[in-house]
Amino acid sequence: MRPALTVLKRSVWKGPHVVPLPIAEAIKNGTPIRTNARSCTILPQFVGLKFQIHNGKEYVEVEVTDNMVGSKLGEFAATRKKFMYKYTKN
Amino acid sequence: MGVHVFGKSIKHNSLVRIGLAKAIFGIGYQTAERICAKVGIYPQMRMNQLSEPQIMDLNKEISDLLVEGHLKQKINNDIRMKRDIGSYSGFRHAQGLPVRGQGTRNNAATAGKLNKLERFRV
Repeated sequence: MRPALTVLKRSVWKGPHVVPLPIAEAIKNGTPIRTNARSCTILPQFVGLKFQIHNGKEYVEVEVTDNMVGSKLGEFAATRKKFMYKYTKN
Repeated sequence: MGVHVFGKSIKHNSLVRIGLAKAIFGIGYQTAERICAKVGIYPQMRMNQLSEPQIMDLNKEISDLLVEGHLKQKINNDIRMKRDIGSYSGFRHAQGLPVRGQGTRNNAATAGKLNKLERFRV
């Protein structure tokens, strides 16, 4: 059988892409972690913590839940606004 | 005339592996070939040449796999889960737009057809 595509994504010896973050402090104090590292993989240790993730303009507050493990932090801070048609005044 | 495998009517003169792949959602050519090899059906065998016990064997093999309604339900649930955790791909599914960074100035018609919160009605 072929391995699943999730396995083929990245070679195992590299491990998940993680950036050093002040996790120990956040667990102790319950303060949100403010970060610009959108490409950081969400690890099981992050569950229950609060993050402030940069979306290019401001920091979006996100609380990590079980299902988010394995995806990246940036997925939860949208960088685009939804298109809304504005009527002109005249 | 059709031969009934796993509750699906398959054309009597089609090759077994191709008939299975076309009729059953969740089975492609690769999986069909693998099932045929496991049950002991030679590749050029046609649907009307199957004996009753062979059809039973096929049914048994297929029922172990994730196919048809269960697979559709799983796909729906996965999309729903992405939406519920608030991820970007979940939003794109809800809006009916491409999920993997494609442009939307023109085209993106397939995304409009497929990307919904409930892709299959089960």
